Amino acid sequence: MGETTTQSSPIGARVPMVDAVDKVTGAGKYADDLTLPGMLVGKILHSPHAHARIRSMDTSAAERLPGVRAVVTGAETPVKYGILPVGHDETIFCVDKVRYIGDNVAAVAAESEAIAEHALRLIRVDYEVLPAYFDPEQSMQAETNLIHDDRPHNIEREYHHHFGNVEEGFAQADYIRQDRFDCPEVTHAALEPHSTLARYDAEDGTLTVWSSTQVPYYLKKTLAATLQMPEEKVRVIKPLVGGGFGGKSEVIPLELAAAVLARKAGAPVKITYTREEVFLANRGRPRQIVELKTGVTRQGKLTAVEARIIQDGGAYCGYGVVTILYSGQLLNAMYDIPNVKFDGYRVLTNKPACGAMRGHGTVNTRFAFEQQLNRIASVLGLDPVEIRRRNLLHPPCVTLNNLRVLSYGYPECIDRVVERSGWKEKYGKLPYGKGIGFAGSHYVSGAANPIIRSAMPQSTVNLSVDRQGGVTIFTGASEIGQGSDTVQVQVVAAELGLPLEQVRIVAADTARTPVDLGSYSSRVTFMAGNAAIAAARDAKRRMLQAVARAYGVAEEDLLMEGGRVLGRNGCPLSLTLAEAARLAAGPAGVLTARGSYNTPEESRGGTFKGAGVGPSPAYSYSAQAVEVTVDPETGRVTVDRIVVAHDCGKAINPMNVEGQVIGSVWMGLGQALQEVVDYENGRIKNAGLLEYRTASTLESPPVETILVESNDPEGPFGAKEAGEGSLAATIPALTHAIYDAVGVWIDTLPVTPERILRALQEKQQAEWKSPGTGARM
Amino acid sequence: MIPQSFEYHVPRTLEEASRLAAQFGADGKFLAGGHSLIPMMKLRLAAPKHLIDLTCLRDLAYIREEGEHVRIGALTTHFRIESSALLKEKCPLLPETAREIGDVQVRNRGTIGGNLAHSDPAADWPAAVLALEAELRAVSPRGERGMAAKDFFVDLMTTALASDEVLVEIKVPQLGHGTGAAYAKLHHPASGYAMVGVAAVIALRDNGAVERAAVGITGVGPKAYRAFAVETALHGKPATQAHLNAAAAHAAEGVDVNADLYASAEYRSHLARVYTRRALEAAVKRARAAATA
Repeated sequence: MGETTTQSSPIGARVPMVDAVDKVTGAGKYADDLTLPGMLVGKILHSPHAHARIRSMDTSAAERLPGVRAVVTGAETPVKYGILPVGHDETIFCVDKVRYIGDNVAAVAAESEAIAEHALRLIRVDYEVLPAYFDPEQSMQAETNLIHDDRPHNIEREYHHHFGNVEEGFAQADYIRQDRFDCPEVTHAALEPHSTLARYDAEDGTLTVWSSTQVPYYLKKTLAATLQMPEEKVRVIKPLVGGGFGGKSEVIPLELAAAVLARKAGAPVKITYTREEVFLANRGRPRQIVELKTGVTRQGKLTAVEARIIQDGGAYCGYGVVTILYSGQLLNAMYDIPNVKFDGYRVLTNKPACGAMRGHGTVNTRFAFEQQLNRIASVLGLDPVEIRRRNLLHPPCVTLNNLRVLSYGYPECIDRVVERSGWKEKYGKLPYGKGIGFAGSHYVSGAANPIIRSAMPQSTVNLSVDRQGGVTIFTGASEIGQGSDTVQVQVVAAELGLPLEQVRIVAADTARTPVDLGSYSSRVTFMAGNAAIAAARDAKRRMLQAVARAYGVAEEDLLMEGGRVLGRNGCPLSLTLAEAARLAAGPAGVLTARGSYNTPEESRGGTFKGAGVGPSPAYSYSAQAVEVTVDPETGRVTVDRIVVAHDCGKAINPMNVEGQVIGSVWMGLGQALQEVVDYENGRIKNAGLLEYRTASTLESPPVETILVESNDPEGPFGAKEAGEGSLAATIPALTHAIYDAVGVWIDTLPVTPERILRALQEKQQAEWKSPGTGARM
Repeated sequence: MIPQSFEYHVPRTLEEASRLAAQFGADGKFLAGGHSLIPMMKLRLAAPKHLIDLTCLRDLAYIREEGEHVRIGALTTHFRIESSALLKEKCPLLPETAREIGDVQVRNRGTIGGNLAHSDPAADWPAAVLALEAELRAVSPRGERGMAAKDFFVDLMTTALASDEVLVEIKVPQLGHGTGAAYAKLHHPASGYAMVGVAAVIALRDNGAVERAAVGITGVGPKAYRAFAVETALHGKPATQAHLNAAAAHAAEGVDVNADLYASAEYRSHLARVYTRRALEAAVKRARAAATA
């Protein structure tokens, strides 16, 4: 960290993450690294059927097996839960029915993994197999054998939004285009499998859970509810987390199973999922079918957009209601669209539940929209960049659906990418087989409304300044590898004028740190960052007040700089931070300060049904150009280069922001080219990282990152979202590049070589039948 | 995930290895690098009761020239073949193929013998040894014998090796004057195995006609195979583009073609034809260069 000490402010400094060394040396501990004396191994019995009634269950043979210390079933754990208050449809173990292959039927705690596995095989379950639903469009027609009795037609939730008047909008259009896009399910594939260690203390009735979670606060609440314990008796600690991407952003069955087993066995229990179980726990991005209709004038001005979206949510709600809303609500806040209609259906099927995944709800809609916009541009003979410029927002503004946009770096993102990529020299001008494509995307900087509505601030930070001037941050925010801890250390150090080394952080332990809602919806830098700034300012104010009082000077004549309290306006005072802290500590002995953040009322959206999802205090923007080579003989795509510009408001740590943006692009590449959770009658055929492979460094093209700083008026030092918003644009930019290379549009993901080849053959046949029609339609 | 428990044996001699294999029969399995077998064991697709680790038999890791042949010990790693100066000069098809296998870690641990004996339908080496018309030599308590590559691959993950036979050597004839070889592969995007891998060896007469063609194809059917129909179509014909195209059209003839998430049988057959043509083109080009060298 040599460069940090010479830098005047740590804001904008390329500093390594504060937990990097421990991670690299192995000193840092992840959940599965933890052990306790007398710890048992927990294993979960999963359903072999996609949909079946449990007639009876016999666990006696498993209980008699030597080395087995506890067996639990659904009968003992009937309390329903779910991440959303409107979606409490899960129980820790199935009570009456199993709803997907992999559903949780029972669990065992034993003295070894081998014994636990053996015990699972001794559990006898008598199933009555029921008809199952695997395709969302068929599932929506269901009349009988419903997946949940209180969800007619297996529809979890539907929304019908209409802003402006699309009929009028389409009447004004010179060209209307309709397309159907099909994006299959993809999953997070975080390298760290989920792992939970639970300890129950029978003496005082307390439960301590160490878990690989993005949401310690919600986990604590759900543990208390499902185990029917007082919330104050539950403590959740988040160790290092090896990637989440949304897959750990709701309560995962093993977390509850480990706790129930620990309580019953009277000994600590650890469960770590196998990779196959990670796939079964899922919560990935649902398959989404988008029927999109867009009208434009001859000049390319958007007049109306209408989307009918179906999401295949799997067997439980999870975040589903939020996912379907994001898919419609965030059609807005990117371009100026005068009329928007959205019909969204979140459908249940007998497959593992989907949930939040990086770019939550927005990615597949954005793919559809940007692809259609590029198709429209090509039909109208407009430059794809120009059509975007003609439809920009003019912030500050509020969209039709009540999304408030203040900072808007999208125009600059477009300009910078056009310039760096050589767009004008390349688009439509590269030799056959080579192409360049363009697209944009955006994302929220945290959901303006909490999952459980309350007046509680979204994030609170406590700060203590010890008598030697050392600062400790106590924060509930969850570091999951994205830089949560580092960002908070940087902003506090910047506020107090201290070197980073003088600031420690204690995070994500519900017994020691105040509440932060968690690492989801890209909220941490914005919300915990603002709370940390508020706490630092509170500490500063207390120190300046104490010094002013002690020396009889005016507070305005003091300032804090370079780790000292200095006088100004002729006041000659100069104190160290330690001296100021001791004065401020006074008789209490220690200086404590606190700060919190809640979203401004004006950022929380409208009042219509579903208005709560989509609003954010700020939106990030991204533009991308992707260059590819397509082998027209095989359909094989090689991605040669990606130029991405991301408006992150202000890069508090540019190195970290670049890492997040590149990571997003890679994830988009994987979804575009090769990722799909492949089902056959509800069974995952590729539940392993050998068969389901994300893009890796091996196939990564050079990714050139441009950071655009629009300085959001409400962001901490102007900062906003950085970790998700660039994912969505990669996919339509890549498919656009394929079109530029060989002249075919692919509307179904992933864009496999076979799909490209088939499209090329169809195109060839069509041209052979009707010679003279343009290739660029 | 942990594999089923098993007994682990480390024989010090080839005789001991063979004796252990005879003793355990179908319950035993040789380990010769472990980059195919161990993943299968973790997934419970294989559950041998006895693992006989051959990696201590260091005598079986060698590359040497002997007369008209190059001999390669079965425990030679992919990386050693990839980086062998001798092979780059005498049999460049082998380093060219090695380069396409897995990733650096796999190439550093995996061995040619282990790979061939495992006989994965999408492994790379089978295509190369088929096209090179190599001899695969094995030892058992009954003595040593050699098998032609074309007789070695029997079916999906099944070879002509008896359960107590240890594959010890791959004996490769050196290519003659006017001969060229090439390997063309399309990697499976997830596993890196061959969606299709085609090794071609072409010998040209002075008049430019094809004297001999040998084509080995992997990744397409249940086992790697010699594409005899392609070879026959080329024999005696001038190596023109039209003839190469026509010959390559036979690449998947009579084969029960694999289908998976990434390629239907129809698309894979198409790929087999395209990559066969590409391998033939490259081999012909090299044969011409060799003839004029």
